Amino acid sequence: MIAADAAGSAPARAERPKAAGPAVIRYLDVVKRYGAFTALDGVSLDVHAGEVVCLIGPSGSGKSTMLRCTNGLEMLDAGDIEFEGMRLARDERGLRSMRRRMGMVFQNFELFPHLTALQNVAEGPRTVLRMASAEADRRAQAMLVKVGLADKAPNFPSALSGGQQQRVAIARALAMEPDVMLFDEPTSALDPETIGEVLSVMKALAEEGMTMVVVTHEMSFARRVGDWVAVFDAGRIVEEGPPRQIFDAPTTERTRDFLGHLGWTG
Amino acid sequence: MTLDWSVVWQHRDALALGTATTFLLTIATMAIAVPCGIAVAILRLYGWAPARALATGYVELFRNLPLILVVYWAFYVLPILTGLGLSPLATGLAALSLNVTAYNAETFRAGINSIRRGQVEAAMALGMSRAQALRRVVVPQALRRILPVLASTWVSLFKDTSLVSVIAVTELAYVSMQVRAQTFRVLEMLTAMAALYWLLGYPQAKLVDWIQRRFEVHE
Amino acid sequence: MDFDFTVIADNWRFLAYGVRISVLLSVVSGLTSLVTGLIVALLRLYGPRGVRMVVVLYIDSMRAIPVLVVLVWTFFALPIVTGMTMSPFMAALIGLTVHLAAYAAEIFRAGIESVRAGQTRAALALGMSRAQILRRIVLPQAVVRMLPAFGSLLSVTIKDTAIASVIAVPDLMRQSETVAGQSFQPIEVYTFAMLMYFVMLFPVTRGVDRIYRRIAHLGRS
Repeated sequence: MIAADAAGSAPARAERPKAAGPAVIRYLDVVKRYGAFTALDGVSLDVHAGEVVCLIGPSGSGKSTMLRCTNGLEMLDAGDIEFEGMRLARDERGLRSMRRRMGMVFQNFELFPHLTALQNVAEGPRTVLRMASAEADRRAQAMLVKVGLADKAPNFPSALSGGQQQRVAIARALAMEPDVMLFDEPTSALDPETIGEVLSVMKALAEEGMTMVVVTHEMSFARRVGDWVAVFDAGRIVEEGPPRQIFDAPTTERTRDFLGHLGWTG
Repeated sequence: MTLDWSVVWQHRDALALGTATTFLLTIATMAIAVPCGIAVAILRLYGWAPARALATGYVELFRNLPLILVVYWAFYVLPILTGLGLSPLATGLAALSLNVTAYNAETFRAGINSIRRGQVEAAMALGMSRAQALRRVVVPQALRRILPVLASTWVSLFKDTSLVSVIAVTELAYVSMQVRAQTFRVLEMLTAMAALYWLLGYPQAKLVDWIQRRFEVHE
Repeated sequence: MDFDFTVIADNWRFLAYGVRISVLLSVVSGLTSLVTGLIVALLRLYGPRGVRMVVVLYIDSMRAIPVLVVLVWTFFALPIVTGMTMSPFMAALIGLTVHLAAYAAEIFRAGIESVRAGQTRAALALGMSRAQILRRIVLPQAVVRMLPAFGSLLSVTIKDTAIASVIAVPDLMRQSETVAGQSFQPIEVYTFAMLMYFVMLFPVTRGVDRIYRRIAHLGRS
């Protein structure tokens, strides 16, 4: 409930330069339950065009659930999500057309093991956008160049390292030319050596102006690349603000506790 | 005890016919049971509740009945149910198909279910419909797991065709035992029968081994 | 088309005898093939090369030859070779054991092999003998993994006993054939037989599924 105030008051807006632009995603009192367990307990948040919004917080606090509700992989129990000014569709067809404009990157990469890297990246354009094969392949190749894996195009996922697989997964999502990219703990399943290469790609994307919602434990990334950080705990946002505030001068006990537990010393 | 193995050679035509019928039954049954098995599996996975219940009931029923009993039951019941006078061959084919379809349905269902949920989610996140996700992502992967089991089912089916001999279908077992009855050459004919099945079945079993090794899924 | 199920009640004792024989044959051949299968598996895993080759040939042959053929050969041809006569039940028992032991052996082998390497090394390092390792370390762990497969094999055993009717073993299948033939009411009789077999088999396959679901949680992704 603190969240609603922060987004509207003047001092906060000065620290949130990109809030001047349109809100690409609006979460309005979102509630999601699994049986007796409430994963999201009335969460409100805005994501503006070109912003990198990072969701941080302990495991089980609802961050991933938030992301999965955004593209309809989970259905809300109450509240609304608005995407580009329209309420999130409830029917499959409507959801599908909205999903085309959102890219999602999963913690476990979820590359299709029976397809090569190139085919993985081309799959969206070919099957969903109904592009001609040659054109889809061209776009796929361009995306692989973008993430620095042009030479891995003919390789199957099993021949790639975790970091390489995740970069291919990013390329696969980018190939759809989405308006927003959703990252669900993109580096949590990676070896420390390969985390860097994935974060570099994400940083480059951010610098190009991509709207991104990132669930992450990589605090340095959130600090350096994030425009806005929301701290989750037990299904609610306990604090949100610019990285400088969250990491250097958190205003709530919860946030301080969480960062303290992580050994965050700035 | 004098043995006369020439009876086997003398009746080679009949035995060849029996062998051909065995193969015919196996091939025809699989040709029916694979598409039907897929249909039943899809009903079980994606149909509405009554269709799911029916499909599940069908599979559970035939997994829990001896095939030889199904053969007898088909022989007496099918003519009444369908009003047609079915030949023993057709009856045998029907009984085998009912049986193998149930097993195949289970194989297809397990194969599809073994694909991680995350794969379907990744496909849908790209904007694919459920049908597209199934076709482009789930099925190609499921096939790798399904093929070895299907091969194994084929070999079992090949052996199970011997059971339709009880309703006088002229496959290998029936023919062999007919010749035995006619010539009284019990040891020779029964051994020849076993040897023929061995000659036909052994390579098939080895082929199944190869298929299982080749398609072994490394997670 | 009317059905008269009193034929079942009239022949109840005759049919019940068949059920008893089916159960008896299933249980006994199940046990004998289990024991034989273990011996065969151990021979295959630890025996000298010549023995191993023979065992592999035996196992693969049983995968190629139908149960019907094995049973018929055992009942009609074996007496000619050995000079001994045997009852249908005994022939069925021998035939089923010979056929099923091959499958049991493969289940044992797969189970044992799935435990072998690191566990065996650790036990050897402690100074245990091979026999001790097998008995105290490998088999107990293997048993858990083999349970679902053996459940399936039990199901197959029960179904295979019905084939013994072909060599005149008075099991449920055979008794049903007799009653059906005499009463000219095959539909009622065979439907009853189907019901009885279903009642025998359903708990076994259900049990297998349930155990399998519990086992699958242990260590598979």
